[in-house]
Amino acid sequence: MAVIIEVLGWGGKRRQYFKVDADQVSIGRGYDNDIVLSDPHISENHLRLNACGDGWVITDLDSLNGLQVIKNPSTDESIFTSGAEIKLGHTKLRLVAESHPLEDTKMLHRLERDTSKLNRLSVWLPLLVTVFATQLLSVYVSTLEEWEWKNAIPVIVSAQLAIFVGAIFWSLLGRLVRHEAHFLGQYSLILLASLLFTGCSWLLSTLSYNFSSALFGDMVQQLASMSILLLLLSANLTLATNLSSRARWSGCAAFVGVVVIIGSVGQMKSWGEFSPFPQYSSTLAAPALLVVEGQTSEEFLANIDPLFQLVDKAALEK
Amino acid sequence: MIKNREASAMVRMAFIFILSWSSSICAQNDIARDLFADYKSAVLQIRIIDLTSGSKSAIGSGFPVNESGLIATNYHVIQLAASEPQQYRIEYLTETNKTGKLRLVDVDVINDLALVEAVDFEGQFMQLATQEPEIGMPVYALGNPLDLGLTVVPGTYNGINRASYLPRVHFTGSLNPGMSGGPTMDRQGQVVGINVATAGNQVSFLVPVSRLQTLVSDYRARGMAIENMQLRIGEQLMAEQQEKFSSLFAHNWQAISLGEAQVLDELAPFVKCWGGSNSSDDKAQFLSADRSCRSEDNIYMTSTFATGILEYQFIWLEANQLNSWQFYNYYERLFGDFAPGNRAGEENVTRFQCDHGFTRQFGGRQNKNVFCLRAYKDYPKLYDILFLQGSVDDKENALISHFTLAGVSKENGLAFTRKFMEVSQWQ
Repeated sequence: MAVIIEVLGWGGKRRQYFKVDADQVSIGRGYDNDIVLSDPHISENHLRLNACGDGWVITDLDSLNGLQVIKNPSTDESIFTSGAEIKLGHTKLRLVAESHPLEDTKMLHRLERDTSKLNRLSVWLPLLVTVFATQLLSVYVSTLEEWEWKNAIPVIVSAQLAIFVGAIFWSLLGRLVRHEAHFLGQYSLILLASLLFTGCSWLLSTLSYNFSSALFGDMVQQLASMSILLLLLSANLTLATNLSSRARWSGCAAFVGVVVIIGSVGQMKSWGEFSPFPQYSSTLAAPALLVVEGQTSEEFLANIDPLFQLVDKAALEK
Repeated sequence: MIKNREASAMVRMAFIFILSWSSSICAQNDIARDLFADYKSAVLQIRIIDLTSGSKSAIGSGFPVNESGLIATNYHVIQLAASEPQQYRIEYLTETNKTGKLRLVDVDVINDLALVEAVDFEGQFMQLATQEPEIGMPVYALGNPLDLGLTVVPGTYNGINRASYLPRVHFTGSLNPGMSGGPTMDRQGQVVGINVATAGNQVSFLVPVSRLQTLVSDYRARGMAIENMQLRIGEQLMAEQQEKFSSLFAHNWQAISLGEAQVLDELAPFVKCWGGSNSSDDKAQFLSADRSCRSEDNIYMTSTFATGILEYQFIWLEANQLNSWQFYNYYERLFGDFAPGNRAGEENVTRFQCDHGFTRQFGGRQNKNVFCLRAYKDYPKLYDILFLQGSVDDKENALISHFTLAGVSKENGLAFTRKFMEVSQWQ
């Protein structure tokens, strides 16, 4: 009966495995064994397995550190059946029969398939050009002096450099963990997120300008940016690591949570602080972006009353 | 204390020292010498003593106005003791180093006057003039500048200042910190004004003696000290703003052109307008012209709180070389930069609360409006209002209109806003 011996790594994952088609298998550090292990705590001839019915009998060959049984599904203590785990020195081994049941094959997560598609020049290049153009436009629009490239280039190059460094980081991580760099894919993801962020904040500020409602205020802006960050991180991790989707999402959520906490702690000092200056929305946008129709001045002033009540109430809370 | 920085006061003192060698004011100096000798015992140093440390926190001057020890000084001299009686007490110190306790009996916060009373006060008192001196008459200010001892400052009476809403005498002479609350006398030794403020370089201000006479006769008629000072001050502020805004609403508001727009001109003689533009800047890609108007009538409440000001401002913008997106980008930055012109702290006022909204004028112009409001914590129904309006429907031109009213009632604030929106127009 063939036996498969798996060397288990961190978290019980298989690091290495041996398959021996014999009724007797010897394990040890010596080269004359069927299975040769390098752990220095394992004796030259450590133990021997003998097939016995559905399982194996283990004989300790007078080893220095002996044998520790971690798990044994068998009801009979002297027999080890498929799935049993033992520890020799610092090495964990699992004994498996060929007929050992397997988990169902998992389908690739949609995100994992789609993010892999991003790793193409035909996706990356148009994204790069779009982000570049958006940045150029935003610099151009905020320039009030005569246009000079020398003023614009440092801004754009430093922003692009930051994205580039991000892409390098993720692809190095992917290279290490998964042996897949996905450099263009990571690059495209960050570009996509930056576009999404620009679009989102532009849309929200236009909405807030038109409807001056708290619904599109700072809180929502921050919520949107944090969501984009969460999506981006999760997608980066999908490409760079083999984390399960639950681990990935909870890791990203924890990271975003930490960012939010750090941000809030930084602002905590100013919470509830008095300011002699009014905090008003100063957003103005080109006439093309204004869709609402104004009231008459009388209507505007008629609605001011609650504001007086609000400050009167605040004045009483000394 | 005179509301000015001490360092600059020291500089001015040196300046006077040099001038006093000039022979042209020798004749004045003889009278000054006599007045000083005659009245030195009637000018007191007023000290605000911090009860915890037992030391003086502020000093000013004052003078008795009747035989029973009623003493006049400035409100800003005794303000600490008026606001926090449990933390400060008021004392006087005579020229012969006699001290005694003082009790606050009444204030006129609008005219920066206070009446304090000494128990068992014996000494000289000063006569209040019943007639205003003519412009150009020499007058003499007495007081304790910077705690240096009693000092006489000769100067010229220049009449009631027309550039301020609150009546103030323009005194050409140097008042310095510590002289506040002291008397300014004519040659006969009659008080013509109470030292109150300086604008530097011999430009100083006195409260006309008529205001003190009113306060003294009110007190005599009432026969007792004011118990609730906060209520009294609130009533004075309320009455003052009512009178000021009624007079402003009583006449037609004139408009003057700024760019293509019509904006509010000087509302009254006490409102001064200034203007500027970036036209001389060759590199400017756009045109910006502004007109800022302001009344300088600060009512002193505490060292960190002033009220009573009225200011308004207009900025006309033309895009010129900028495209509409760039233009609105700049316009937005400018629009976010407005702050009230009066100082106030957390213990005085609430935070600002703002309303935003678009309005459309009959002429068809669409505006964004910001109406911000904060309430006075100690004086109910008084507010600071900051209003901001910007046109939003033209790609190449824009008009920003702004005003701040400090210490105004709701009715007057809204009426002012309504009229302001009507008069300032860009069709």
